[in-house]
Amino acid sequence: MADRLERLLNLTATLLDTRRPLTLDEVAERVSPPYPEEQASRRRQFERDKETLRGLGIDISVELLDQLGGGEVGYRIHPDRYYLPELGLTDDEREALHVAVTAVRLEGDDAREGLLKLGGIAGERAPALADLPTSPVLGELFDASARRALVRFTYRGERRELEPYGVALRLGHWYVVGHDRDRDASRAFRVDRIESEVEVGASGAFDVPDDFDPARFVRDDPMSYGDDRPVRARVLVAATRAGWVTEQLGDDAVEDRHDDGSVVVALEVVNREAFRNWLLDLLDHAEVLGPPDVRAEVVAWLEALATTGSTP
Amino acid sequence: MSPRPLAAERLRRVLALVPWILSHPDEQLDDLAARFNMSRRDLERELSLLQFCGLPPYTADRLIDVDLRGDRVSIRLAEYFERPLRLTPAEGFALLAAGRGLLAMPGSDPTGPLARALEKLAAALGSTRGLAVDVGGAPFLDVLRDAAQEGEQVELDYYSYARDEMTTRRVDPMRVFHAFGAWYVGGYCHRAEGERLFRVDRVRAVRPTGVRFEPPSSPLSPDDLVYHPRSDDLRITLRLDASARWVAEAYPTEDVVEEKGGGQRVTLAISEQAWLDRLLLRVGPAATVLDPPAERDAARRAAARVLARYRPGAGDGAPG
Repeated sequence: MADRLERLLNLTATLLDTRRPLTLDEVAERVSPPYPEEQASRRRQFERDKETLRGLGIDISVELLDQLGGGEVGYRIHPDRYYLPELGLTDDEREALHVAVTAVRLEGDDAREGLLKLGGIAGERAPALADLPTSPVLGELFDASARRALVRFTYRGERRELEPYGVALRLGHWYVVGHDRDRDASRAFRVDRIESEVEVGASGAFDVPDDFDPARFVRDDPMSYGDDRPVRARVLVAATRAGWVTEQLGDDAVEDRHDDGSVVVALEVVNREAFRNWLLDLLDHAEVLGPPDVRAEVVAWLEALATTGSTP
Repeated sequence: MSPRPLAAERLRRVLALVPWILSHPDEQLDDLAARFNMSRRDLERELSLLQFCGLPPYTADRLIDVDLRGDRVSIRLAEYFERPLRLTPAEGFALLAAGRGLLAMPGSDPTGPLARALEKLAAALGSTRGLAVDVGGAPFLDVLRDAAQEGEQVELDYYSYARDEMTTRRVDPMRVFHAFGAWYVGGYCHRAEGERLFRVDRVRAVRPTGVRFEPPSSPLSPDDLVYHPRSDDLRITLRLDASARWVAEAYPTEDVVEEKGGGQRVTLAISEQAWLDRLLLRVGPAATVLDPPAERDAARRAAARVLARYRPGAGDGAPG
């Protein structure tokens, strides 16, 4: 165990320090404790070490050594792809980050491991205040948005190609938001509903609009994402549920507040089914006031249930 | 996912530790161990191993120079480790998400050390705008947090979602936290005579009582939020069309029988009537209650109740 750690450290140092790619034989000549003499097991052990380093996020580049011929490859670690840029964090900023990762919990150790790279754990931990959901693909999606790289994935059975502008958490769900290339329109996708691996393209593939704000992007979700003709629906919500609805839609959605505590909210609907589900979740505490066709649709749905849902 | 081999975990720690010691000579071993979340013994083990590491040909001038003096340590001849390894995408995301999450909490300082740290972090990650966290708020969040902190009993007007009814109850609020996209207050409910969780956005009014209580040692936590069916909860069997297969994916089921044509026969545990009503109203004609017989017209009753809002005069008793 100690031998393996020693070799991994020496291998990292050697590949970082070299100015040219080193072949496997050159690596084996240099790095201690030594790799096996026998070629196949030497190769096997080196590959295992290489995978371990990559698993930690160390970018080992494999480069073709043209001059030497024979298609031989060499290995090195480019310093600019290894080193963390200097963030210039102060002690109180490190302490604040420590408070954040203890107060706001995400599944997994990534935040804590990141903290160690930024100078370790400083100050006191905080009591847990929030649990946020997470997903293994969020790091990739966020990184793709930072690098302005296209992403491709399957969503509701369809392949999507997106210019990711960013990720946003809203009402307990993460969304990746951006420009959908196939539909040539802004879209938000629930990250937990992505059905495939996320393929990430080359960096610098698009520009993010100057006025982009991911929080605004998902403010009206989920009812505002769909392909129905947009309508502005007005809904009367009883006092019992008015606070919840106002919080969900934002104060801007409130058109009228009545003395009995009920409110009238207006919302943009481009997905009638999602709207109906949202409305019926409020049971008889809400009523669509208009437009007439939206109201008629809801009534028709309820009438169908009220008449045919009974037992013979 | 299988755990990473131990050597990789140790390597990861050492690659964070060495740059810190290089730039902070003569730190106390105990402080270092705490900072890097390791025991003093593990720290000493890694430091002694480091003395045998360096660059080929591993002569004295090429090995890392670990200078241990009493309780303090310095390192030289390890310039290639002078900066830590950059953050992985997952680490960068998790740090920024946790930080932005805390910053979004009511009462955070928008210009304090956390905000400054996050600005630097976001700039290093190459994205200042690409990650937003909205934890929402609720009208009575602050007053409930204060009450929990002070240990003051409150009287709540509370909308019970599962039962669809307004209640008034005395509660000793113990803990306020955010989970599953909503704010909760956990505490002792004198009406239910037990610990209960309440969603803050369903609280309609909070009245202070002036009564103090002693907070217990281990109040409810987010882990208590998951619904665990009880043996006496109602079981309901539905026939679902193929278009309603999402029901069995979205909710915990006790039994699923596949039928010809893509339909399913699904048995679910139901905590309260209003929960079943909402499900039936959403699924619509694609669902039929098979069992128990008393619930076979649940959808009709629920739809008639909502319809009454649209048809003044037509009440629950509307003919089916």
